[in-house]
Amino acid sequence: MTDKPTFRAEIGNLLYAAGGNPLDACMQCGTCSGACPVSGFMDNTPRRIIAMINAGLKERVLASNTYWYCASCYQCTVRCPRGIDITGLMYGLKRYSIWNRQPKEGMIGPVFSETFVKMITRTGRSYEPVLAKSYIFTYGLPEMLQEARMGTTLMLKGRLPMLPARIKRLDNFRRMLRRIIPLGEL
Amino acid sequence: MKRYAYFPGCSLEKMAQSYHHSAIATMRVLGVELEEIEDWNCCGATAYFHVDELLAYTLCARNLAMAEKQNLDVVAPCSGCYKNLYFTRAHLQHEPDLADHINFALEEDKLHYSGTSAVRHLIEVFVQDVGLDAVKSKVTHPLKDLRVAPYYGCQILRPRKDHEDVEQAQYFEDLMTAIGAAPVDFPLKLRCCSGSLVLTNRKAALSLVRNLLESAGAAGAQVIATACPLCQVNLECYQNQVNQEFGTDLHMPVMYFTQLVGLAFGLQPKPLGIGTELVSTKPIVCHARQDSA
Amino acid sequence: MSRRIGVYICHCGTNIAGMVDVRAVAEYAAGLPGVALARDYKYMCSDPGQELIKQDIKEHQLDRVVVAACSPLLHEHTFRNATAQGGLNAYFAQMVNIREHNAWVHVEKKSATEKAKDLIRAAVYRVALHKPLEKKEVPINPDVLIVGGGIAGIHAALTLGNAGKKVYLVEREPTIGGHMAKFDKTFPTLDCAACILTPKMTAVKTHRNITMWTYSEVEKVDGFVGNYKVTVRRKPRYVIEDLCVGCSECIEACVYKEAKFPDEFNLELSKRKPVYLPFPQATPLVAVIDPENCIELKRGKCKKTCVEACGDRKAIDFKQEAEVKEINVGTIVLATGFKVFDAKRIPYYHYGKHPGVYTALEIERLVNASGPTGGDLVLRNGQKPKSVAIVHCVGSRDENTNKYCSRVCCMYSLKLAHLIKERTEADVYSFYIDMRTPGKGFEEFYNKVSSEGINLIRGKVADIYPETPGGTNGRLVVQAEDTLLNIMRKVPVDMVVLAVGLEAHPDANDVRRMFNISCSTEGWFLERHPKLAPVNTFTDGIFLAGCCQGPKDIPDTVAQAGAAAAEALALIDAGSIELEPNTAFVVEEECSGCKTCIPLCPYTAISRNEEKKIAVINEALCKGCGTCVAACPSGAIKQNLFEDEEIFEEIKGVLIHA
Repeated sequence: MTDKPTFRAEIGNLLYAAGGNPLDACMQCGTCSGACPVSGFMDNTPRRIIAMINAGLKERVLASNTYWYCASCYQCTVRCPRGIDITGLMYGLKRYSIWNRQPKEGMIGPVFSETFVKMITRTGRSYEPVLAKSYIFTYGLPEMLQEARMGTTLMLKGRLPMLPARIKRLDNFRRMLRRIIPLGEL
Repeated sequence: MKRYAYFPGCSLEKMAQSYHHSAIATMRVLGVELEEIEDWNCCGATAYFHVDELLAYTLCARNLAMAEKQNLDVVAPCSGCYKNLYFTRAHLQHEPDLADHINFALEEDKLHYSGTSAVRHLIEVFVQDVGLDAVKSKVTHPLKDLRVAPYYGCQILRPRKDHEDVEQAQYFEDLMTAIGAAPVDFPLKLRCCSGSLVLTNRKAALSLVRNLLESAGAAGAQVIATACPLCQVNLECYQNQVNQEFGTDLHMPVMYFTQLVGLAFGLQPKPLGIGTELVSTKPIVCHARQDSA
Repeated sequence: MSRRIGVYICHCGTNIAGMVDVRAVAEYAAGLPGVALARDYKYMCSDPGQELIKQDIKEHQLDRVVVAACSPLLHEHTFRNATAQGGLNAYFAQMVNIREHNAWVHVEKKSATEKAKDLIRAAVYRVALHKPLEKKEVPINPDVLIVGGGIAGIHAALTLGNAGKKVYLVEREPTIGGHMAKFDKTFPTLDCAACILTPKMTAVKTHRNITMWTYSEVEKVDGFVGNYKVTVRRKPRYVIEDLCVGCSECIEACVYKEAKFPDEFNLELSKRKPVYLPFPQATPLVAVIDPENCIELKRGKCKKTCVEACGDRKAIDFKQEAEVKEINVGTIVLATGFKVFDAKRIPYYHYGKHPGVYTALEIERLVNASGPTGGDLVLRNGQKPKSVAIVHCVGSRDENTNKYCSRVCCMYSLKLAHLIKERTEADVYSFYIDMRTPGKGFEEFYNKVSSEGINLIRGKVADIYPETPGGTNGRLVVQAEDTLLNIMRKVPVDMVVLAVGLEAHPDANDVRRMFNISCSTEGWFLERHPKLAPVNTFTDGIFLAGCCQGPKDIPDTVAQAGAAAAEALALIDAGSIELEPNTAFVVEEECSGCKTCIPLCPYTAISRNEEKKIAVINEALCKGCGTCVAACPSGAIKQNLFEDEEIFEEIKGVLIHA
């Protein structure tokens, strides 16, 4: 009979594979938040998220938009004085929130990522126009028009792919992915 | 004749085809053949790691396994692809169980991964494998002290691979100097361009892009040189949107370093993809060629 | 041969008796060959316990003793003494550890008891072969060498000198005083550093028992505790120390009208001439000529106006050469101090690139009245700063640089915050992770400084960048997350002060090899025990004082210097030292002179006798590690108390069932 692991332990397990020191080592110095180029846009800074995880505040962490703002630039990871892989933590939290079917409302990130993965599974390559549908409709009208204008110019310059690319051995590719996990609705 | 297994990455197909063409052309001048990995698949970018780590590693491992079949090291021009491929290989070296599991999956495509192909970024090949002396020797049209802001971005240097210094890289500047340009002191040269946030978190991304463009301008740059298609697209294609959002008036040309190297090698602008930009690079070409236009 | 061995099994309360059936073991031991009697007792180390041994030796004519109890580290000495007092040679006693090695690591009584029997049997077989041995007595030369003339070295020198011992104080720089001479005020009392240091420096210079050699370095150390032979090289200052009175006329008269060369004492914030005095209170107050930059010394063609200005004193001598001195001392105190962290290793703090970024030590010189600006805290453009940021933990508490906390920086940062506020009225922002103020009067100091209107922000500085892109107006923005307020702080300042941590000198590893001691992983000299022997090293006769052993402030440095002096005095006043006899020795007839052993000795105790062409072991240096014994291809080296037969018997005793 095993006890369900605590939230803190679950996240710790996610980080185990990423290497680096565990979240326990965090001394709350704030270097990560200070070095992060987008921390000003997050509702909770990276340092605060780590404090919340260590305190077991699962709901608050899952309700936060912090990790969906992470640009994966690794500035926090290379400057952290305790050697914690904070970017790895952000990736882990993104996965955790998607698996738990609790991605934050109103964020484009989760839908975008899932669309991307579905697209790769279907064709083996990425194709921008398919991705567009995951974010364009959340934009206001002026932004949509700007994107459309940019897209048109790029198309005229020959920089936008007209048809989706496909890899040749797509069947093998799909079977390969299924050997890792069953693809389910993907 | 040096050969590499070439992993272009999804962006270089169309969006960054100028990077693709200029890369192949300049490498050829230096006596390096880039042999495209046949049937390569997407590296997963950042989005795949948001959903499943194991699947993401498998995607990269498939590409590495195909390069192993070619018996060549991999070169990736895109920093994102480079980071994914490099760290997949590093990770699988540390976790043989994981490598076994992935090899079990790769059997479906009759592939096997053993980690023998090293992963290089395209700019590393220029600077380290070929060497700056060799690059200099092929320069026929030095760029007449063109003021370039060398933009490393993030994933080419970070995360740390060994114990190297990730805060004081100078090799991009050295490459620019070697082709006759004058690299400027660009304080934000290591700051993120925001990557895919430009789609998922537009306001934040535009703010980052604005800071980068303003900083390069204040440093006196005539052009920003990049080594990654995401950086180039974010900095160049979204300049209009930055101007609309913040009321700024930025017109900074952004080019791939291979295009600048190509100009210095005396290659023609069109085959280097010059002319497909949203922010005109005519002044740069003029400066380089010192045309009276 | 028939032996009469007494075997004693200690209960150690329930520590041993709780897991080992001591009665059964005693009965078993009584039946072993050579054993005259076997007893078990509650506490063998107690007085009655020891009395037992002494009585039994007399009454039962015992000739060997085995005590099965705790670790020899604790009581080997006790039982050897008891055996000696009973009339036998002390080394006829053998101790067996059936506590740490047996009772404390077993979970089940039966196997624990069997193991105890095995261990005791082995000891009984062994002790039968023990030979009588005597401790060696080595005289201690009463003279002392102190390496390093900072506050630690100075205090130790004065203590020992006052005790009547002859002290050699060797200092690498042209003046004593160390880092403390560079400070302005010291925490927590805000005493002026020079005011409290210079009297001690003068006392050293004038002390009849202290020979002060500045601008000198130790070159070679030979010998062993009580008998060290040290070679010191005195570098040429090109000025005769006894004749110079420090009037500075030569400096005034130098052909270089303007000072041109970076002044090291002022951390290169000002310039000096090739002939210079390090600072106004330098001790000795004797000029130094820098051979790299003096025209006469480099090219031989100079008007030598300095010689002219010196006049009748004739103190300048361009022909002066290095002097090599050999001294004999009995004990050595190392007080070589520290260096500050090189802030260039953190590029995003822009030290060395932006003129507004300083290290704390540079600020100490700026606020010092005898510093490069006469005590005015001004930027390089001569203007007073209006806003200053103090960045804590630069090069400390950081996996990327040094993992340890440098202990003094929080206190000196508070001190600098106070001084900066006092001298400039600037807005001061202190960015810290934790405020570490543990000493006596330190919390009160923190209290006082915080009520002076400085801004304390809890957040490590993550980035520093120019306020305007291109950095045209010179201000820097210091960016950190204020972790208490939960907001991002981007504070524009004129001046950034980096609270750099302390590090070991870069040549610490070479120095430690010269003195035959060890360094820790962080590069500090290694103490024998961090709590119980912080000034001793693993080499007898060599002591540590001050920051060379680890970062610490002045109160602790002085305390440690006193402790090191006391340890040295303990040895000197004892007059001689006893050395354990478990040393190795060379059987001359069997040594082939192959020299295999000589480089292997970690204590450099083996040398070669060129006449006889054999190896010779210095008993005083030998620590009995056994490396040479094992390595000798001829088996010509043997070790007292660990001879082959003794070891084989012990092995036989343990493996008897095998």
